[in-house]
Amino acid sequence: MPRYGIAIDTTKCIGCHACRVACQNQNDLPVHEEFNRIVERERGVFPSFSKEFVPLQCNHCKDAPCERVCPTGATYTSDEGVVLVNTKTCVGCKYCIEACPYKMRTMDHGKGIVVKCRMCIELVREGGTPACVSTCPTQVRIFGDLDDPTSEISRFIAEHRAQPLRADLNTGPRIYYKRS
Amino acid sequence: MHGITRRKFLIGSAAGSASLLAASYVNFDAWASREKIQGEVKVTPTLCDACGNWCAIKVHTRGGRIWKAEGIPLAGNNRGRMCAKGHGFLHEVYNPDRIKSPLKRVGPNKFEPISWEQAYKEIGTKVRAISEKYGPGSLFWVSHPQANVQLTQRFMQALKSPNVFSHGSTCFMPRNIGWWLTVGQAKPSMDFENSRMIVLVGRNPAGGMNLGHLRSMTKGRDRGAKVVVIDPRYSEAASMANQWIRIRPGTDLALMLALANVMISEGIYQKEFVEEFTEGFDEFAEEVKKYTPEWAAEKTDVSKQTIVTLAHELAAAAPRAIIHRGYHGAMGTQYKNSLQLVRAVGCVTGLLGNFNQRGGMFFSPKPKLGALDKDAHPNPPRVPGPMADGTGDMERYPLVPRGQGMTQAIPELAIEGKLKAGFVYHTNPLRTVPNPARVIEGYKKLELLVGFDYVLSETASVCHYILPESFYLERDDVIYTNQSVKTKQVSIRQPTIKPMYDTKPLLEILSGMAEHLGIGQYFNFTLDEMNRASLKPVGVTLEQLRKEGVVDLGHEWKPGPPRFNTPSGKLEFVSSILRDYDLPAVPTWEEPLVSPDPKDPHSFRMIHGKQAYHTHTRTCNQPYLMAITTINDAARVWIHPDRAKALGLKDGECMTISSSVGSGRARCRISEGIHPDCIFVPSAYGVFSRHLTHAKKDGGQGGFGFGISYNDFLPTYFSPVLGHAMVNEIVVKVEKTYA
Repeated sequence: MPRYGIAIDTTKCIGCHACRVACQNQNDLPVHEEFNRIVERERGVFPSFSKEFVPLQCNHCKDAPCERVCPTGATYTSDEGVVLVNTKTCVGCKYCIEACPYKMRTMDHGKGIVVKCRMCIELVREGGTPACVSTCPTQVRIFGDLDDPTSEISRFIAEHRAQPLRADLNTGPRIYYKRS
Repeated sequence: MHGITRRKFLIGSAAGSASLLAASYVNFDAWASREKIQGEVKVTPTLCDACGNWCAIKVHTRGGRIWKAEGIPLAGNNRGRMCAKGHGFLHEVYNPDRIKSPLKRVGPNKFEPISWEQAYKEIGTKVRAISEKYGPGSLFWVSHPQANVQLTQRFMQALKSPNVFSHGSTCFMPRNIGWWLTVGQAKPSMDFENSRMIVLVGRNPAGGMNLGHLRSMTKGRDRGAKVVVIDPRYSEAASMANQWIRIRPGTDLALMLALANVMISEGIYQKEFVEEFTEGFDEFAEEVKKYTPEWAAEKTDVSKQTIVTLAHELAAAAPRAIIHRGYHGAMGTQYKNSLQLVRAVGCVTGLLGNFNQRGGMFFSPKPKLGALDKDAHPNPPRVPGPMADGTGDMERYPLVPRGQGMTQAIPELAIEGKLKAGFVYHTNPLRTVPNPARVIEGYKKLELLVGFDYVLSETASVCHYILPESFYLERDDVIYTNQSVKTKQVSIRQPTIKPMYDTKPLLEILSGMAEHLGIGQYFNFTLDEMNRASLKPVGVTLEQLRKEGVVDLGHEWKPGPPRFNTPSGKLEFVSSILRDYDLPAVPTWEEPLVSPDPKDPHSFRMIHGKQAYHTHTRTCNQPYLMAITTINDAARVWIHPDRAKALGLKDGECMTISSSVGSGRARCRISEGIHPDCIFVPSAYGVFSRHLTHAKKDGGQGGFGFGISYNDFLPTYFSPVLGHAMVNEIVVKVEKTYA
């Protein structure tokens, strides 16, 4: 069984937000709900000024804090390592929203449940890639199997020593960043 | 809660107080839209219309409703990618404010629906009367030129009017003419992926999106190419570049001339290429002698060392070094010296010897399409003479091509009484042309204005008749060939859903009007017949193209000795055409038209640019795209920290900005990423049509009254040679708003 993850190269991100809207369409999200977002950071003073766009989304942690706090067991991790919400058992208590260190869960106010990035698992199971990956004009995201050392993502992480955000929290995130 | 339909939910909430409590949390619109539409998923290849690039996409419908889309990997133009605008614009098909049938204006901002037949008849009668009274030269058509321009040209030719305008004079004109003069073609392509050095001069393909360029630039960058962005602003493209050269706005020409100076004086240009494939090198070399790096450093505010190093790096990478051919930016219509800049970039490209070389520039192979049988479907006779604005007039604007013209001349000509009736198609001059007060006055003077729009935009609001063309997801269009980059490709737009309202494709509307204009004989064919005739010589059937969306015809571009379509057959350092018209034939320094006062802390140049999630102002009312603006507070106007401090401004505070023609207020974004001489206005906002309020629903922002537009501050200009609008030649006064 593969263990999916995404590597993100922020040095290529142009902050175009194509990933955001592609994701919203794929998941039928209304205007103000988002599964991914981009944070813009400016650094330094001219002439050493620079800017970084950092795309954020659910990190699909191995030891997911959101899963631990869920009172109904609605949040679970699939065999592929994708953290999902069982919409039938979620009661919308929002414990998981509080517990998520990345604040990447959101409330579906229509259904009264919590929703989140599912790594477009239905597309992936059909052999595709998540919508945010395939739409990106500069190929910031690489999707693939972290357990396969020959996969593009594994090679990318090894070559660039890509790190998860806040690795110190020890939650085992599966989104890796190359930031310089 | 699951599996409850809206109806059941309503019944439930009426039955019990607990449900009523739940209902109070629910916004019913949101609830309705969130219900998963079940049903068969159908995928239709077509072309996007969120901007002018027409990327090839596959649109997914579910139960007959638009769901999502993805790029088609084969298409050279977007290579499988899609931007935020493309995704977001899909939702516009369900915009409740869409125009649902032909409309007739019956009072200020008052419209009533009429039938197509009535619209054709009334427009036909009025156009005929105006044409008889004032002559056919009083009629015009203005559009954002696309494949459909073939049809509109035919229509105006049949009406015997030469006045077909595009938005080009506010967008790209100097870029097209400059390259055409220098290398014989308006839009040379670029082989970024094999390049070792990529330089963007006042061009931001990550803001004014070009997915194909971005994709190949990324590939080149991944393979080790150095990307350099020369821009007054740290553009979105700069965030993926290796170096940002912060230049004083309007002085890119000085930098280019200095690059040529260094390369020639040090003898580090491609000598063999220059000898064999260029014309006028000696005269050019003589001219650029005076443009030393020291001189340019003074003009551009870029250090001498940076200029010299850039020249060395370009020369070392040559011929696999590219300076982007430009678009609307510095090489477009932004400055008085834009034409000279494009010529200078063309000449530096000549020194780099990169034409038709791997990793350089080249001419894309374009498929040659067929035409309708001339006996069965006669072409209307050609209309001789210049356009009403002097385009094509040897004494006035000989270099401006017919079919482009100067869009900002239309209101002036209307005020003078030279234009009396017009058609506006796929463009919104009241918002996108400089000096709106003047534009409104002019357009309101017209005796007849017919608009093609899908919402009541600013321009549509003053039209006498509005003919709603079917939305891009609902209609067929003329065969498109701009997907061709390295190979020849043809593509097609086709309906993905049935038209939702009483709308029609363009050709049907033109045919309907033609009947009443006495020019019906020129519109005796269907779009399918025309498209079949177009496809005949390339050996693709319409059925095959409909199935695949994009068909690749091969004929891949191969590097080799270049051939230029110029009078000399060579790359022209000295332009023989410019010389014939007694214009500066060698690129020379030209000062910008206006410059801010360096001693006045309130004086700034106003520059503008696109954001990757907006197209002109047409997406300013699209909730999904406006949400991006809102979340990122992206409508703010950029200002340098030192200048902001001098004005007592803190980040996010309001500024009052005024120029000789207008004033407005905007919140500031204080950033090191902008040259102190200028403020930067994102170009997507400033919508003033009262009918555009869709984005405000559910507490959203956008539409009417949101943000400011650079056009509000810009006088009506015509540059001396090309008549372009010089849209960055604005000096504004900026003050902190105390109120």
